[in-house]
Amino acid sequence: MRKLIYLAIVAASTFFLVESCKKSDSGDQTNTGSSFDRKGMLTNMSTNIIIPGYTSYQAATVTLNTAVTTFIATPNAANLTALQTAFQATYKQWQAVSAFEFGPAAQINLRVNTNTYPADVNQINSNITTSTYQPDLLTNLAAKGLPALDYLLFGTGADNTAILAQYTTGANATYRKTYLGLLSAELKTNATTVLTTWTSTYPATFVNANGTDVASSVGQMLNQLVYDYEVLKNYEIGIPAGVQSMGTLYPQKVQAYYSKISVQLALLHIQALQNIYLGKSASDGLGFDDYLDAAGAKYSDGTSLNATIKAQFATAIAKLQALSDPLSTQITTNNAAVTAAYTELQKLTVLLKTDMSSSLGILITYGDNDGD
Amino acid sequence: MFNFIKAQFSSFFNTKRHIAPLAVMRMAFGAIMLISTIRFLLKGWVSAFYIKPKFHFTFYGFEWVKPLGATGMYLLFAILVIAAMLVTIGLFYRAAIVTFFLCFTYVELIDKTTYLNHYYFISVMAFLMILVPANRYFSVDVLRKPNLLATYVPNWTIGIFKLQLILVYFFAGVSKLTYDWLIAAMPLRIWLPANSEMPIIGGLLTHLWVAYVFSWFGAVFDLFIGFMLLNVKTRKLAYILVVIFHVVTGWFFKIGMFPYIMIFVTIIFFSATTHLRIIEFLRRITGKRKQETVSKRQEIVYQPGILQKQLIYSIIILHFTVQLLLPFRYLLYPGKLYWTEEGYRFSWRVMLMEKGGTAFFYIKDPATGKRSEVINSQYLTQFQEDQMATQPDMILQYAHLLAQEYQKKGIKNPVVTAQSYVTLNGSGTMLYVDSTVNLANEQEDWAHKKWILPFHTKQQ
Repeated sequence: MRKLIYLAIVAASTFFLVESCKKSDSGDQTNTGSSFDRKGMLTNMSTNIIIPGYTSYQAATVTLNTAVTTFIATPNAANLTALQTAFQATYKQWQAVSAFEFGPAAQINLRVNTNTYPADVNQINSNITTSTYQPDLLTNLAAKGLPALDYLLFGTGADNTAILAQYTTGANATYRKTYLGLLSAELKTNATTVLTTWTSTYPATFVNANGTDVASSVGQMLNQLVYDYEVLKNYEIGIPAGVQSMGTLYPQKVQAYYSKISVQLALLHIQALQNIYLGKSASDGLGFDDYLDAAGAKYSDGTSLNATIKAQFATAIAKLQALSDPLSTQITTNNAAVTAAYTELQKLTVLLKTDMSSSLGILITYGDNDGD
Repeated sequence: MFNFIKAQFSSFFNTKRHIAPLAVMRMAFGAIMLISTIRFLLKGWVSAFYIKPKFHFTFYGFEWVKPLGATGMYLLFAILVIAAMLVTIGLFYRAAIVTFFLCFTYVELIDKTTYLNHYYFISVMAFLMILVPANRYFSVDVLRKPNLLATYVPNWTIGIFKLQLILVYFFAGVSKLTYDWLIAAMPLRIWLPANSEMPIIGGLLTHLWVAYVFSWFGAVFDLFIGFMLLNVKTRKLAYILVVIFHVVTGWFFKIGMFPYIMIFVTIIFFSATTHLRIIEFLRRITGKRKQETVSKRQEIVYQPGILQKQLIYSIIILHFTVQLLLPFRYLLYPGKLYWTEEGYRFSWRVMLMEKGGTAFFYIKDPATGKRSEVINSQYLTQFQEDQMATQPDMILQYAHLLAQEYQKKGIKNPVVTAQSYVTLNGSGTMLYVDSTVNLANEQEDWAHKKWILPFHTKQQ
């Protein structure tokens, strides 16, 4: 028996050693062997990017809420303009924190509660006419947050005079104002809840979960970076431009349809994601770029993956910069430019979702499962 | 030589062995299956994998295997739990193990998204356990019907499990004898540094040489561990290695119950004396000390009837022939196995690839020429989408689903194309399938899929 076994081993081993020596074209990663300081990256993210981001966003919601209160008390043209400005500032700040849907933000589903669009105009109007608003109702997701304010402040009339009239002489003007107040207060409360946790207990939890599994901070950051990027690609650009609907255009589905700052927001959004990738705030700290370099990650053309990703960020941003607001108009008049931007955004999806996560051995998943 | 083989053959089938290893095997397998099934339920996977998805990637030839709806699926898992318990205690053993095998295999056949070598291994083990009288010793069945008691069994009843385990390890080892694993230390050089936060050894894992040590040790371990377990001189050391190896891999990688299953079932390699000691220990903690003294002296040999024996022998020979050949079927396909995955499954290729992909699907209406990208999440779960992107047969199945769906939407003969970008062991993403081919017209069969693009990387 033993002789047979040895014979089998020798035969099989020889065969497969020969097989394995036929050089295959893979494994050209040149891992430098140097250890990457994941904890350092997490500290940089939390101290220099996430907490400042939430601080600015929360401050913006406070200003917005004050502007709403002023407007409710004295609905005039000047206060409306001031409120509109405060709203746009808040929407812009939101772009910087949209990607952090884990920990405190995930606990209260901040992203969908803040920015589910397109706004459901029928639901908003029915809330106003019936003088009821239940924030926890699922059907109210598209009748709250920034998109609802976008509609209420920019979409309820042809110009500011008409919009102002809705809050003064229009039907249901009183509850319309109340609704406005409820929505801005909700934004403020949510932002404050998240910021409070981020400025007290959560950073320690965040920095100490320094593994790479799905529940780890790196895993969550990367997963949400990719997820939020997909939101940008699909909801801000792709779906409105008709790429997923046999060419049927949905210009009214863009982000900030009524205030017409969609392109500006998309640019701020992608730049925020780029900063997360780079670990960049006022100065350039540890980010995924350094992590990839430390892992010696390569793109399929043999160049460094980090360089490829940085270049693709630049290309995608350039394509978005070529667009101008209102995006909804661009979609109908210059669709080719919008789909060109979409194409470049899609290339970046592959790099972030597949190349980056695979090079770092981080599972991109929104669920959980075994492997073998 | 012929006589030698004949003698080996005869001794494999006929030598008399004490039954104790079978009884321990039954309890070990049953218990670990019970834990696995309950764990699966608690993790919510029944719903996530078999209830929530709208579409399932069935196996070729098993398209008739469908999920049974929420009630049906939970019922199926309840049956699995009960069957595993019955196997463990050895009550209504044959019915229980047949039920377990059928239900477990049914679940596994529903969707290849969840395919894991260790699920396949469980099916194989459960199948082999149907053939043996594992309930004729230290079981409730024997308490119920004392005349079922047997103290000796023919060697094959124990040998088939040893042989199966040797094959699993050996093939897992053989599959590691590749350029990627041995020379490039892939994928461990990606996976190990990802664990660098671990206490004590974490810092070590970022060193490249450690990835080489792990790769080479893993290959040598898999190749030889089965034989070391078989040899009485090396057995103890081998089992210690088994425990260390599986505990460490279980600790590093997200591989669920697999390590514990292997640690439990490899006990079968130990001698009858060891197994009797295990049983004696179990007797003591369950407070049943007496009857052993009687049965130990009695020599009751289990022998299946002539017909039954012939049937079992044929099944065993057929089974192991298939087991020996299946892992080599990849040789019939051109291209790099890891890339095409043609002939990859059911071959004990474990933990060999860091592979990931993103797939975009497009539908074109041939009448209008209009094209649309598909929102994959409308049809697939994230898990299904990720698995599909890197496996050509799943890409094809999904393309066929899309063709059907868009046909229903009123597009005649929709053209379905896929752009999948796949990275393999750090290669960086490249186009995986020919994005000009209308997948709606391609058929699934055993032949090579010509629309898979070749794997190539440019070295810098």
